Amino acid sequence: MADLTTKYLGLTLRNPIIIASSGLTDSFEKITELERNGAGAVVLKSLFEEQIILEAEHNLKEAGRNRLIYAEFSETLDYIDVHIRDKELGKYLDIIKQVKKELTIPLIASVNCVSDIGWTGFAKQIEKAGADALELNIFIMPFGFDNNCDEIEQKYYKILRKVKQEINIPVAVKISPYFANLGKVILNLESEGANGVVLFNRFTSPDIDIENINVTIAEVLSSPFEMTNSLRWVAILANRLKIDIAATTGIHDGKAVIKQILAGASVVQVASSLYINGISHITEMLKYIESWMDKKGYNYIDQFKGKLSQEKHSHPDVYERLQFMRYFSKLK
Amino acid sequence: MNNINEYLKEERNKEWRVELRKSMKAKERTDKMRVHMPEADPMIRNKNSEEVNKGLVLQNAVSEAARCLDCAKPTCIDGCPVGINIPKFVKQIEAKDFNGAASTLKETNALPAVCGRVCPQEIQCEATCFYTVSLKKDPVAIGHLERFAADYERNNGNTSVPVVDKPNGIKIAIVGSGPAGLACASDMAKWGYEVTVFEALHEFGGVLKYGIPEFRLPNEIVDVEIDVMKKMGVKFRKNIIIGKTLTFDDLREQGFKAFFVGSGAGNPSFMNIPGENYNNIFSSNEYLTRVNLMNAANDAFDTPVISGKNVAVIGGGNTAMDSVRTAKRLGADRAMIIYRRSVEEMPARVEEIKHAIEEGIEIMTLHNPVEYFADEKGRVNKMKVQKMELGEPDSSGRRRPIPIENSEFDIEVDTVIVSVGVSPNPLIPSVLPDLNISRWGTIEVNPETMQSSVEDLFAGGDIVRGGATVILAMGDGRLAADGMHKYVSEKVKIN
Amino acid sequence: MYRVVEKEIFSESVIKLVIEAPEISRSRKPGHFVIVRIDEKGERIPLTISGADEKKGTITLIIQRVGVTSCRLTDLNPGDFIRDVAGPLGKATHISKAGTVLCAGGGVGVAPLLPIVEGFKKAGNRIVTVIAARSKDLVILEEQIRLYSDELIIMTDDGSYGIKGLVTHGMEEVIKREKVDMSVVIGPAVMMKFASQLTRKYNIPTVASLNTIMVDGTGMCGACRCSVDGKTRFVCVDGPEFDAHSVDFDEMLQRLGAYKDKELETYQEYLKTRS
Repeated sequence: MADLTTKYLGLTLRNPIIIASSGLTDSFEKITELERNGAGAVVLKSLFEEQIILEAEHNLKEAGRNRLIYAEFSETLDYIDVHIRDKELGKYLDIIKQVKKELTIPLIASVNCVSDIGWTGFAKQIEKAGADALELNIFIMPFGFDNNCDEIEQKYYKILRKVKQEINIPVAVKISPYFANLGKVILNLESEGANGVVLFNRFTSPDIDIENINVTIAEVLSSPFEMTNSLRWVAILANRLKIDIAATTGIHDGKAVIKQILAGASVVQVASSLYINGISHITEMLKYIESWMDKKGYNYIDQFKGKLSQEKHSHPDVYERLQFMRYFSKLK
Repeated sequence: MNNINEYLKEERNKEWRVELRKSMKAKERTDKMRVHMPEADPMIRNKNSEEVNKGLVLQNAVSEAARCLDCAKPTCIDGCPVGINIPKFVKQIEAKDFNGAASTLKETNALPAVCGRVCPQEIQCEATCFYTVSLKKDPVAIGHLERFAADYERNNGNTSVPVVDKPNGIKIAIVGSGPAGLACASDMAKWGYEVTVFEALHEFGGVLKYGIPEFRLPNEIVDVEIDVMKKMGVKFRKNIIIGKTLTFDDLREQGFKAFFVGSGAGNPSFMNIPGENYNNIFSSNEYLTRVNLMNAANDAFDTPVISGKNVAVIGGGNTAMDSVRTAKRLGADRAMIIYRRSVEEMPARVEEIKHAIEEGIEIMTLHNPVEYFADEKGRVNKMKVQKMELGEPDSSGRRRPIPIENSEFDIEVDTVIVSVGVSPNPLIPSVLPDLNISRWGTIEVNPETMQSSVEDLFAGGDIVRGGATVILAMGDGRLAADGMHKYVSEKVKIN
Repeated sequence: MYRVVEKEIFSESVIKLVIEAPEISRSRKPGHFVIVRIDEKGERIPLTISGADEKKGTITLIIQRVGVTSCRLTDLNPGDFIRDVAGPLGKATHISKAGTVLCAGGGVGVAPLLPIVEGFKKAGNRIVTVIAARSKDLVILEEQIRLYSDELIIMTDDGSYGIKGLVTHGMEEVIKREKVDMSVVIGPAVMMKFASQLTRKYNIPTVASLNTIMVDGTGMCGACRCSVDGKTRFVCVDGPEFDAHSVDFDEMLQRLGAYKDKELETYQEYLKTRS
């Protein structure tokens, strides 16, 4: 009988399927359902620095519109962003506390960072509330075209360093693949103290509606074909990193999970697949993995984890092949 | 509206007004400089609780009143939240009918001595004065004149009691004896209602007593105004918490037909930063209540207050100013304001900031506390602050404060007063599930009538506004009285 | 003005006063407290209402003489007046049917415990009460609380009455021998801290009634703030009862000592004037 127990960031999970930070993980009730349906761990929906700022702005606008609320010269209005941040953070911490009190599933808190200032106090409170680990979702938007790569990269390390100084629970860093020297950046994150890396963050993308001639949002859910980028990099890095890798984007079925583990990932994070197929799909995925393991004679995940990672593979250059060369030369 | 304009015109055309206008040429009036309010010496007044503004002397008040041009279209009234007939009372001062001026004030303003002291006239009546708008000169000192008339009447023992209509036997309950409740009670009493004001504390006046310090608004003045209301027949009951001691149903059973809730926004906000619960860190409400309401600075009174040598007050509004200036008077060597934006963004009245600086208050703008530290007994002894710079304005127009990296440093403090706002007292909303409450915890009302979602319940002041001024609260009280009067009259007709 | 109608001296330091306050007596429930101010110069202090008689229109306060205000209050006699009494304040006790409720009262904490014991007993619970005091003459309300307890255990520090030991010893004996579904602990902060540490060990849900410094008592100043589950709460409006296992008792003890020096000074002055 296959044993799916996995270790990630030093935590023991009953299986390698983690539900990613998304609308599926934003309340105690939803997390309860995910636990019931077999999820190995959950990443609590991100606390957005931006969202708090927007909420404060929204309140200010509302106050401005309602001619009775908060006279111009009101002290409360002056500090309203402080009060809102407090309230939002309070709600976030409440979910963590309730999950830790009433459920057993490992809970990873998540914070979205868009700047390297001002918010790191959250990390300590998140730890105090009982979160098992913290996932930093960092994307520093390069403003304008003036900053050079190094400056931007340094900000990532700075955030990580600051957070590691403040807390003792494990910290994972989720990044996008858009770096000139991606491999080096990830190795640097490891040496700066990250306990795990999550590859890769998937952004909302713009699309264009040619009928109404305006800009819209492209398909919000991932597709299985999008898995290939993280697959490549998981394989390349798996034996070069001591820390855990969580693979994410486009993992829609049990097969995909197995592929990532073969490449060297410790765990996967899923979201879109559950939006499409429902939460019970977790059980389907787990069943598939178990039955494959049984078929191949594996009792434990470790027996096949990283089997096809680059260093282990007899032909390592297969992961580095970027151009198609001879494969497509004629149109059918 | 037309009634009011008609009334104003009628008054303006009275003989004495016409004569008065003729008695001095307009140019002679506009050539005068605006009177200067005498102030107590800063280095003396910062050690006592004497009023900072000493009040105009008679000749200067008369002379200032003469500056008023008695405009045919008095724009000053547009700026007044309670609609005082400003030209009339000002001209009465010029005509040396000071008691008359006080009576005129009391037609619309139950607390003229209070408003003359604490109203931000500079953004109200004086901002819309003809001098400000058209002549680009200093406006008529309407606030100082209001105070003069009210003080004159009081000091000469002539405190007038407004005329009240014949009693109609209908009982009205006012919850809260702060400015909103008092203004509402006053109007209802004038119209013959049997009014009872219920107050949770042991003194009447609400924020006028516990919040505003003696050196800005002596408590004695508040008591005189409340006395007038008692003479008008208003009943006052203290130590009654409506919703706890007596419920609204109890009051309905006792025959009260309508309610005005003016329970205020006394719930203090904190910043929730590490160390904020160490000893000797207070909300401005606690600090000011101990000093102003409980006389804690006076050894003859039992309530203690801790106010040390290095006092930091966090915030930039009037309450912060009141707190820091109180701390100075209680012996602080360093009395500091720690405000995260700049002076331009400070919500406090310009006059209060000016007085504070004169008194030796250190205004540290662009600083924000991030953590407090304490000694082995848990008493705060140090505060870590971070420097800020200002970015883009937020939706309120104030520039956003952005922390500057690695700019933190420590300041020695032994007392900290947190003055970053208040929220509405949650008691009454919590006992009335049918009452619609906004996202800020305020009672939602129809802005024309101040009626809430509970038909016999009206509300005004900070419980509706979240945290505003005395005069706006009074305006609400008056508007609600209007609304209640119409509501009760219709109900009585139906029955 | 609120008239004192009855006075009973339990011991040199614990005195019962019955006060005329008809409106309060009518709306009062177990767990409520009042804020009392003796006179013009007096300070406002919180006192739990340990009983009320709606017919007579009176409330009962049990006061321990620990400082100037409590001494002056307990020096009053029937016929004297208290200037201001405001209430009932705080949230009433949440009475439920839990099964077996272990109630623990330390010192004068037995006074606020009494109405809660009565409430839980009337709700059909089995009540085991442990009351503790330093010595025999500081044990109060024994007969009253026995009336509503299925079992009453009395502990004294010096063994002069009941069993020698601390309230936690008495509590642990009970916990070890029978299933306890819930616990209520009231007394000095230090006592509540250790009593709740004990019940946490055995996973028994526990309620504590906090007694912090207060000024207005209606939620407007924050003097009574404490940390419950990491959040700041006001004892006067969110409490006075909280989940004992979430209360930061160390912080509460720290805050209770804020005026200790001043209090001691004025108390000594006061004692001088009396001798």
